[in-house]
Amino acid sequence: MTASPPPALALDNISKRFGDVVANQAISWSLQAGRIYALLGENGAGKSTLMSILSGRYQPDEGTIRLNGRPVRFQSPAQALEQGVGMVYQRFMLVEPLTVTENILLRRGPVSLARSRESRALRELAERYGLAVNPDATVRDLSMGERQRVEILKLLHRQADILIFDEPTAVLTQTESESLFAILRRLKTEGKTVIFITHKLEEVMAVADDIAVMRRGRMVSQLAADKVRSQHDLARLMVGREVILNVDKPPVTIGAPVLTVRGLTGPGGTARPSFRNINFDVRQGEVFTLTGVAGNGQEDLVAALAGITSLAEGSVTFKARRYSAAGWRNRPAAGMAYIPEDRDRVGSIAAFTLVENFLLTRLAEGKQSPLLNWPQVADETANAVKRFAIRGSGIQGLAGHLSGGNLQKLILAREFSRKPDLLIAEQPTQGLDVQATEDVWQALLRQRETSAILLVTGDLKEALSLSDRIGVMFRGEILDIVSARDTADIDRIKLLMAGLGAR
Amino acid sequence: MAWRIEKRTLSGERAPWWVFPAALFFAVFVGALIFIGLGVNPLEAYAAMLKGSVGSFFHFSEVVVRAIPLILTGLAVAMAATMLLWNIGCEGQLVWGGICAAGTGLFLAPHLPPFLVIPVTIVAGAGGGALWALIPGLLKAFLNVNEILTSLLLNYIAIIFMEHLYFGPWRNPEGFGFPGTAQISDLARIPHFLGTRIHLGLVLALVLAALIYGGLRYTRWGYRVRAIGLNPRAAGYAGFSIRRQIVGVMLLSGALAGIAGMAEVSGIHFRLQQGLAVGYGYDGIIVAWLARLNPLAVPLAALLLGALIVGGEQLQSLLHLPASISMVLEAVLLFGLLLSETLARYRLVRRPDAPDRSAAKKETAP
Repeated sequence: MTASPPPALALDNISKRFGDVVANQAISWSLQAGRIYALLGENGAGKSTLMSILSGRYQPDEGTIRLNGRPVRFQSPAQALEQGVGMVYQRFMLVEPLTVTENILLRRGPVSLARSRESRALRELAERYGLAVNPDATVRDLSMGERQRVEILKLLHRQADILIFDEPTAVLTQTESESLFAILRRLKTEGKTVIFITHKLEEVMAVADDIAVMRRGRMVSQLAADKVRSQHDLARLMVGREVILNVDKPPVTIGAPVLTVRGLTGPGGTARPSFRNINFDVRQGEVFTLTGVAGNGQEDLVAALAGITSLAEGSVTFKARRYSAAGWRNRPAAGMAYIPEDRDRVGSIAAFTLVENFLLTRLAEGKQSPLLNWPQVADETANAVKRFAIRGSGIQGLAGHLSGGNLQKLILAREFSRKPDLLIAEQPTQGLDVQATEDVWQALLRQRETSAILLVTGDLKEALSLSDRIGVMFRGEILDIVSARDTADIDRIKLLMAGLGAR
Repeated sequence: MAWRIEKRTLSGERAPWWVFPAALFFAVFVGALIFIGLGVNPLEAYAAMLKGSVGSFFHFSEVVVRAIPLILTGLAVAMAATMLLWNIGCEGQLVWGGICAAGTGLFLAPHLPPFLVIPVTIVAGAGGGALWALIPGLLKAFLNVNEILTSLLLNYIAIIFMEHLYFGPWRNPEGFGFPGTAQISDLARIPHFLGTRIHLGLVLALVLAALIYGGLRYTRWGYRVRAIGLNPRAAGYAGFSIRRQIVGVMLLSGALAGIAGMAEVSGIHFRLQQGLAVGYGYDGIIVAWLARLNPLAVPLAALLLGALIVGGEQLQSLLHLPASISMVLEAVLLFGLLLSETLARYRLVRRPDAPDRSAAKKETAP
């Protein structure tokens, strides 16, 4: 045993479950003062949950957190901050009409009369850490980078020693990112512990001292940054060697393209469009997958294809009819079904019964008599419940009482019942347990016999298990489309996801 | 063991049975305190209210007369609130229904075939209210202007316009200078029942309550309205036009309030005069909430509030209490309801043990 001081922050066997889903499993991590830690992992790897536990938003089911060797337990973010652990969220928590000083003093209750003295103190604090921000400016007028500095200042003002950043560069420009890194290094020399969550490997290489990688709720690797030779190593660590599950994949003859998109570009206004020059087609009987790390444009592309948002440029050909970018949104709805990512708040209505939910997207079908045929819908729902083995409190129970897997099966059954030519499924198994995931996969594979399927997923295992071809998106573009049968190609997917290895 | 208060997470679950009795109990209890504060024996006061509202057939018929506009405005508010729209403008829409009914009865009736006069009056009243509600509806649908503000402020415009009419151009030339229009044509008066002041408006109100109840449950339109009210994002995903439904529901809501005004003019006052805008539009909010937005419960809630109003008038004449006492009691009832509804949204749960101790326990483990 050495007599070195206890780590600034130590996690010991932290576990957290949400229902059946294990978000964090037995995570141990020890962090020293004066170092910058990068926390890496795919979507759903459990990073955000872990940081929410650290910052007091969630309480762990098991395990201990120690600050400087002393066990602590936070009931709220305010308590965590009191103990010196603070978090800068991706969405800033600032009151826009107030000034920087007012925002920082806000949590103390009524702002004191000696405001000029307070703002002088803040100015000194800001200078010490190189945080260029005017304490008297109104937050509304500040850039994203400046707002982030206000958030940091807020934590420093409360004497936080451990600062957590959730994807801090996601909203920043290149120059702003670089000045953030300078600030992080400054924090480090002042003896603070910095944790930042990121997907961007070059950032990790640029600023981190230590790297921790999470996968499927577990901490799979911890290493010093100087041990990492290349971004390729990191990409492999992050995604891991995925084992393709033995999904029974009945052969289906692949036919003509059902959906063809050419040169699709999203609306950008003055900013960069979130997706640009997208070309792919989805053929009858095929599962075509779009994958990528979250935030690389897949979400916006799907929303536009589903007709929820608009397109700026390009063309879409659906069932041999060509639509312009502007015309796509107003096309007749028939023939396409969409399974949205958020099944609780978009795909279903929690306070409706299963029967009522079964009608949600099918109201425009059939003959449009004003009266609804509830007995018929109830029959169809009962059949779907039987066929998909949906377990709940009966077809007149509320959808909000179903578990995630059963709710997703209900949504699948509903969308399948529309007999679509094209089915778009967005993150269809996110947050589901193993059994439900397999059920959903089997259902999707069966559906290939009648529909072309566009799958959008960040889960590589899912992409590999279901797809025929996989398009990898990075920064709004499809870097490459690879065959899911070609093992050499599969290795490239991980690199493509990190923006590397494009041909 | 530690007890903790936890919020129920799922909306749309039925509130427990005790919510309404609890609200009533709260209202009676706080009302008693108010009576004591006013130096009146609460038992005596409540007895007077009961006797004055349900003590005789005549008194009860007056309660029903008050309940008629309350059913209609209650339906109007409940209809809009089902889609998360707050129509606070029923008072103004009611006034416009009255203006249009009076206009029909005064100027149009002589030129119409007699059998058409009452149907035209009803349609005019409904149309007047609907058009007045269309303004906040369009502003909400296309410019996202808050309908609470617009509908509320339009009330004052409607009331002042009505006053302009009966003080000015529509004033009865033979009215000895009293403000008010001339009496409407006999043909435009809706029929009364059982020798009381209960009029055709009751039948209209009850039929409409049943139609709205059925419409919400058994039609495509009603499904869309309920879906939008419960989850606008899911409704957008399903491809429903939220704008169109906002405009449609506001039109319907305004039409209901307009019918209330029409029935008051054609069934009670027979002219446009002071006393049309006495707050039925605002009371409709309380009625809708007492009924938990269920159209079939609206008539019952309206009867309860009607009894409160009529009973309150008895207090004024028998016990010389201020006229505003019934409004105070209404408010107490609403607060009681909101309070018990809020309580019903929470439940007590047991937590296995206090958090700090568990951390300490692990600490001492080897």
